[in-house]
Amino acid sequence: MSHSEDRHLDFVLKHYKEGAFDTEKAIGRFREAKGIKPQPRRRISFAAIAISVAAAVLLGVFLFTGLESRQWTDVALADALQTVVLPDGTTVTLAPGALLSYRMKDQREVRMEGKVYFDVARDESRPFEIDADGAFVRVLGTEFMVDGSEKDEVKVYVADGKVLFAKNRKSEGVILTKGMEASIEDQMQVPEVEETPDVNSIAWQRGSFIFDHTPLKDVLDCLSEYYHVSFAATDLSKKLSGEFATDDLDLIITLIESALDVTIIRK
Amino acid sequence: MKVPVIINPTDFESLFRYNFRPLCLYALHYMGDVEASEDIVQECFLKLWEKLEQGTEVENRRAYLYMTVRNRCLDTLRKKGLQTESLNPNDTYGIIDDDDAAERSQTEAKLWTAIDSLPEKCREVFILSKRDGLKYEEIAEELGLSVNTVRNQISKALKILKEGARKILMFFFA
Repeated sequence: MSHSEDRHLDFVLKHYKEGAFDTEKAIGRFREAKGIKPQPRRRISFAAIAISVAAAVLLGVFLFTGLESRQWTDVALADALQTVVLPDGTTVTLAPGALLSYRMKDQREVRMEGKVYFDVARDESRPFEIDADGAFVRVLGTEFMVDGSEKDEVKVYVADGKVLFAKNRKSEGVILTKGMEASIEDQMQVPEVEETPDVNSIAWQRGSFIFDHTPLKDVLDCLSEYYHVSFAATDLSKKLSGEFATDDLDLIITLIESALDVTIIRK
Repeated sequence: MKVPVIINPTDFESLFRYNFRPLCLYALHYMGDVEASEDIVQECFLKLWEKLEQGTEVENRRAYLYMTVRNRCLDTLRKKGLQTESLNPNDTYGIIDDDDAAERSQTEAKLWTAIDSLPEKCREVFILSKRDGLKYEEIAEELGLSVNTVRNQISKALKILKEGARKILMFFFA
């Protein structure tokens, strides 16, 4: 961290109080004070509102239906892991920093940024479509993750069911089924399917790592990517099987050490 | 006759959502007290809303908010009989200008958010160490952890904050 960042952090830490400066609560208090009812958040500009008010007398009915169909609703902008149920029954889990908005009428449409896990409610008459800024995903009902948290790459991991993954609505895509993973980079036209999909891509959502005869080297790679820590160990070729909760790295390390009879050091 | 000004509640909510936390941090530099800062920012948003309702158009609402928050902070301090040497925003390193202060508030709001989103145990250990100044041994004893775990949790927190502060975007304050 640079010198000035240190200074900012010092100031914030000196005063930090859990639960303080809560924007949602403050908005609630503000609404209460002013007697405002919560509004669904729409992506309509101020200009559009002004124009529609002026023209409402002539075009009342048209505008009402017109606005309805253009309406996008923003889902909470998560600052911690957050699970939300959409109106169609689909459950989405947002990783910190993820942003999602949806529009549901004849189709089910979602726009998103960051990392989001979907458990899509089955409705074959209304496909579920996701626009992840440089990637397009269409499904009927299934469980999968879209990871748009990397700058130029979007990754999809399918936990269950069948998913179409393409660059955009019109381009050629790949069909992914249970356990498959694929990614697309900015300059690519068609997503590339991973030869060795990583079941731990969704460890953050599942709350556990799953290893199945995984060499210790790969286990430690996976852990160091997740926790941003580096490791060294005495025998990297030993193989590990089992499921480990993600919330306690120390415990995982202790368990691995005793299960494989190795010593693991953090670097 | 005044032309009624339309306040779009959605726009106002966005203004609130994007600026509430940075403004709180801005006020905190004057007040040094979390509750007082939060109250002042809340009052300033109410004041702006009322102004718009009365039909006054405010050209740059964000700049207006920073200005009214600062004035209200200084008023409050004056009423308490505290010396306010300068009308400029300041920090422990001297006087800085308005734009820098707004930028600083945003950076600090991001850090606040990043601390909020640390895993619970990690945050607890980190706060005890960095805010309350406890030694690793003292934290270990208080929380029933090993000193090694405390050390690891703190280095994990620092790493997350270092990366997080850059990644967290404005919409992340919600």
